[in-house]
Amino acid sequence: MSKFKLISDGLVKNNPTFVLLLGMCPTLATTTSAINGLSMGLATLFVLVLSNMAISAIAPVVPDKVHIPVYIVVIATFVTLLQLLMQAYTPAMYETLGLFIPLIVVNCIVLGRAEAFASKHGVLESACDGLGVGLGFTCSLTVLGLVREILGSGCVFGYNFIGGNDGMLAFVMAPGAFLCLGYLMVLFNKYLKKN
Amino acid sequence: MSKLLVSPSPHIHSKDSTKSLMLDVVIALIPAVICSVVFYGWQELLVLGVCVASCVLLEWAITKYMLKKPSTIGDLSAVITGILLALNVPYTTPWWVVFVGAVVAIGVAKMTFGGLGQNIWNPALVGRVFLLVSFPTYMTTWSKPQGLFGVDAVSGPTPLGAIQEGLMQGSTVQELTSAYDYKDLLFANLGGSAGEVCALALLAGFVYLCCRKVIKPWITLSIFATVALTSLIFWVINPARFTDPLFNLLTGGLVLGACFMATDYVTSPMSVWGGVVFGVGIGFLTVMIRYFGSYPEGVSFAILIMNSVVPLLNMWFKQKKFGRK
Amino acid sequence: MAVKSNLTNMVTVLGLTCLLCSAILGGAYVLTKEPIDKAAAQKTNQAISQVLPHFTEVEYNEEGRYYTAKDAENLVGYAIESTTVGFGGALSLIVGVTPDGVVYNTSVLSHSETPGLGAKCTTDQKFMSQWKGFNPAVKKLTVTKDGGDVDAITASTITSRAYALAVENALKTFATLSEEASSGAFARTGSRSDAEEDASSEIVNEGGQNHE
Repeated sequence: MSKFKLISDGLVKNNPTFVLLLGMCPTLATTTSAINGLSMGLATLFVLVLSNMAISAIAPVVPDKVHIPVYIVVIATFVTLLQLLMQAYTPAMYETLGLFIPLIVVNCIVLGRAEAFASKHGVLESACDGLGVGLGFTCSLTVLGLVREILGSGCVFGYNFIGGNDGMLAFVMAPGAFLCLGYLMVLFNKYLKKN
Repeated sequence: MSKLLVSPSPHIHSKDSTKSLMLDVVIALIPAVICSVVFYGWQELLVLGVCVASCVLLEWAITKYMLKKPSTIGDLSAVITGILLALNVPYTTPWWVVFVGAVVAIGVAKMTFGGLGQNIWNPALVGRVFLLVSFPTYMTTWSKPQGLFGVDAVSGPTPLGAIQEGLMQGSTVQELTSAYDYKDLLFANLGGSAGEVCALALLAGFVYLCCRKVIKPWITLSIFATVALTSLIFWVINPARFTDPLFNLLTGGLVLGACFMATDYVTSPMSVWGGVVFGVGIGFLTVMIRYFGSYPEGVSFAILIMNSVVPLLNMWFKQKKFGRK
Repeated sequence: MAVKSNLTNMVTVLGLTCLLCSAILGGAYVLTKEPIDKAAAQKTNQAISQVLPHFTEVEYNEEGRYYTAKDAENLVGYAIESTTVGFGGALSLIVGVTPDGVVYNTSVLSHSETPGLGAKCTTDQKFMSQWKGFNPAVKKLTVTKDGGDVDAITASTITSRAYALAVENALKTFATLSEEASSGAFARTGSRSDAEEDASSEIVNEGGQNHE
């Protein structure tokens, strides 16, 4: 499978948010603004690529019965690494994302790709798969975050264009998250069906 | 090959009978509409006008351009949604906020689910709750009635809002309710939504609908009974903290909710006992939210929560089938 | 690609994985400890600099939950943490008070107020700016609705009251602090005159104690 196709599949055909419906919890919770969604997506991307590579490297020697604990330990290591790095160098975003950074460990996408792809393919291909799915996740989170930000706070990437007023606050809270996600999913799948 | 049409309940058979039912509901709402315009003036008329027009326009546009089906605005259900939503919001609400409410009520709550008969939640209430969450300052600023041509709006809390605020400050319920005369509550000299202030007009409409056999009264009556009974129990235990039953029956959107919103055909149970349980649930939740929740008013949330339970109620309390015991 | 499991290789692989991962994380922890501490200190300094004028050093008192800010031995002021119950939960403020008892500024540390209503305590300029230089000796520390001089946030009286109460509590802490600071100076002179005046009094003044 060509490396490029792996990446593009993760973006569109296997988009984790709108097609695979994985990782819904961080999707709904961290997309209150475009920047937050983007950061969460990039954080997950970091973990995805690295854990995919590591797991594909060790998969041949991991005994069958303990493969899940081993994978989780590897994933958790990368997430903790990410956490320490964010705490040290991006403290503001670390505070904003808060609890959801350690929750990347249990994000279905990460373990899912590890099991479904990385454990059965080579290191470079797994990296590409991780990159593709991670990019797909990042894009969908950014788009969702952008929509919620525009409707909910009248801002685009933090810049308020409606004179400092609030937008429709339902969109920066849980109900709006579900509504936006639902409608975006409709649009995405409609576009997918057409092509 | 013949087409077998399978659709979820309730089944509305012909457009004409739907229309005549809806027309009766519109007629029943007229006293309340007139009452609210007289109390609140031209601004209320504006809110009503924008709301009804938006709902009808949106339903027409969505059926024509998105669903590509024949228009359903003739069955008047959009008109009713418009009137009910307008009666639920403050008369000082800006027109564009009302329009957003209509978009959510018709677009999200009704058409996304497939149109009349397919929605799970009462569209007007979904619109109202969405507005409450999205524009809290507009939706919680209640102004006193102005009369037909009044201009200066003096805002103040609704009776329920005043109670909640007062309790948090440490006053007792008796001190707070002594400020209100029950006559006032019934005849609307206080701030509140139009649904709150025109209780008599609404009850008149409800009686009309019962006489016309458009709605059966058990849902509404079980709501009133449950609210009265639940608040009676709490009030007897601690009159300083909990308001009395009569106050609860007359304030907030209870009369409007019980008479017109809980009895919506599509979103309420079909059988008698299902309806009673539905009513009990709404009454109980309303009182709980009023007494213990963060919001001063609980009717909208109570009805929406019970709407979710309706499919279950329909399953548990099946209607009697002809020919079976 | 799976390897057949037996006790030996399961234990080995799991053990090795955990050892390796812990080593990596231990190393990462050591490497990032300094930047993390620096970031935390910077965050605290930033929070305090929002509520007090320029300072060079700051000291935290765990028990009283306040920071003493100094600029080269001169007391710049106290940044006092104060928590009350708002509409949706705890409302935590940090209140900067200069030695003359005037509020220099306030800042919200955390809150759970309703977005669009009480949550405006962090965005409403009109509400926030009234706390700059708020002198409790001149202005009453209650909302206008209760006869005071504090402008409440529109439709959020409960949050505004909680905010005013938090500032009031912070000022009470300041009052005790400044009493302790000044009584340290008075006690040495005071105890002699007290002992002379109330020779029969049972109260014994010990240095530093202030009796009310």
